[in-house]
Amino acid sequence: MTDRRENLLLLAPGLLLLALAFLLPIFRMLALSVQGEDGLTGAHFARFLGDPFYLGVLWRTVRLSLLITLICAVLGFPFAYIMARAKPRLRTVLLIIVILPLMTSVVVRTFGWMVILSRNGILPEVIRDMGLAGRSFQLMRTETAIVLGMVQVLMPFMVLSILGVLARLDQRLEEAARTMGCSFLGTIRHVVLPLAMPGVAVGAVLCFTLSASSFVTPNLLGGTRVQMLAASIYRSVTQTLDWNFAAAQSVILLVGILLVMTPYIIAQGRRHG
Amino acid sequence: MKAKILLAGTTVLFAAPVWAETLTINSFGGAYEDAHKTCVINPFIEATGAEVSIVTAYSADAFAQLRAQKDAPQFDVIHFSGGQEIVGAKEGLLAPVEPAKLENIGQLYDIAKPNLAAGEGPAYSIAPVGILANSEAGAAPASWAAMMKDADAGHMVLTDISNGYGMLGFLMMNQVAGGSMDDIQPGLDAVADLLERGAVIVSTSPEIQQEFAQNEAWIAPYAADYAYTLQQAGLPISFVNPEEGLPGSFITASLVAGRENTDLAYKFLDIEISKPAQECMAEALRYTPTNREAELPADVASTMVVGEDAVAKLIRFDPAVIEEKRTQWVDAWNSTIAK
Repeated sequence: MTDRRENLLLLAPGLLLLALAFLLPIFRMLALSVQGEDGLTGAHFARFLGDPFYLGVLWRTVRLSLLITLICAVLGFPFAYIMARAKPRLRTVLLIIVILPLMTSVVVRTFGWMVILSRNGILPEVIRDMGLAGRSFQLMRTETAIVLGMVQVLMPFMVLSILGVLARLDQRLEEAARTMGCSFLGTIRHVVLPLAMPGVAVGAVLCFTLSASSFVTPNLLGGTRVQMLAASIYRSVTQTLDWNFAAAQSVILLVGILLVMTPYIIAQGRRHG
Repeated sequence: MKAKILLAGTTVLFAAPVWAETLTINSFGGAYEDAHKTCVINPFIEATGAEVSIVTAYSADAFAQLRAQKDAPQFDVIHFSGGQEIVGAKEGLLAPVEPAKLENIGQLYDIAKPNLAAGEGPAYSIAPVGILANSEAGAAPASWAAMMKDADAGHMVLTDISNGYGMLGFLMMNQVAGGSMDDIQPGLDAVADLLERGAVIVSTSPEIQQEFAQNEAWIAPYAADYAYTLQQAGLPISFVNPEEGLPGSFITASLVAGRENTDLAYKFLDIEISKPAQECMAEALRYTPTNREAELPADVASTMVVGEDAVAKLIRFDPAVIEEKRTQWVDAWNSTIAK
């Protein structure tokens, strides 16, 4: 048996699973999205693009996903840097802290946030007690709640992506910069950050795509008044039973995510090509 | 070809043995499913010796499954509470119900069996939608109008119209506000006003409980059975039967088209609509029976909407119209409530 055949054989189960569980449904979804009562139609897309409500949902999805990604990067980079430079034991402890949220079910974790953020939850209560908000102030069912919940879920992806790059970074580069008279922050800015960018980019793509397509956390914390696209798709499937429209929304989400990934893919191709 | 043989082989391997027939149904989970087992499913098993496989799925999910399984249906009897049987019957997913095959069908109120021949199964329970109020938080509003106008909206929980009870409560508020099935704008305006004044919107029953238990909610337009669930949870909740009347959610059992187990399915339906089963469900969950022979203890009946006159007065918003306009309404509702 040649190497090539062996490789193919090894690939086959994965490819088969992909074809059956991913490609087939995607094509089915594409077909549904342009299916009308009499033949092909663009009506489902027109409905989405012509309704300020759905455009608002799309805009919120993009805006919040960008914000979540940004916060993850700002919080994740220092964390990853410290992990990369810490002694092995401390690094293990930090690693456990980072991935701990991933070990609890997303539903349980989100319910925790619901308790903390609701009207009688600890956070709104403190804000009320400080006289910063009125009697009925609460954080549940707001965009803030979605951002908080999602940042907690997605931080590990950002931290681990950056850590992978930083851990391989030659520490002598930083030492060289410092001996040349660069301040600590200057070293981070001019040496470490530029070299860590590939990690930040991977983390950002992961965070953005995961948060744009996530359902459970935004749906539970945002509620019906603050919808994101995945929740809107779910409602079209199960509540109005309008599968064609749901498919059209899914295609818009898919295309949007592909558009975001394109610059990244091109940059990757350039680096390795 | 090989694949086909293989497939056939697996089917034989995994198919249930023929001597123990299995009936596949859906139930709604939680306390409902427990009562469903005690009152309907277990008596059915005792009477027939058949096995029952229960899939926990709410109406909308069950309907989505039914539709997806069009070519190879998996349910024998399917239960809906949101009028899905009307759409299902129209799409040919449900089989016509022959009254002659059901011993107990004559005992049902007419309102519970409007369209058996088309495939819309009989209603075995009705959930009236009124006002849930915290009885420790002052006088409850006596009417829908009072609830919309005078109640403290900062302590009010509304339910999204994606929820069946939420839809009925909304349509009732719309009717009281001067709207109709052709014009829901008055209802939307009323909801916008309540939201402006501090009301919150949730989309599932557990969230209502959470709002009542933890977040100082006092008033919610919702179903009678849920008032009882909240009472069971220790909350001081009473069910208000508003002056203008109540809409009802009809819980139906339908036969799925293209299944072979029809005799067993008919038997199941017959037990489900029978006097003892309905009394049992009413006592356990406070659903209004649709069987005119059903008798309830006085203390139970006094907190419920029961009896031929009361049932006849229930408002049934035409599920066919709701289904027809749902998409349009959901869009209008979404834009109204969106922040």
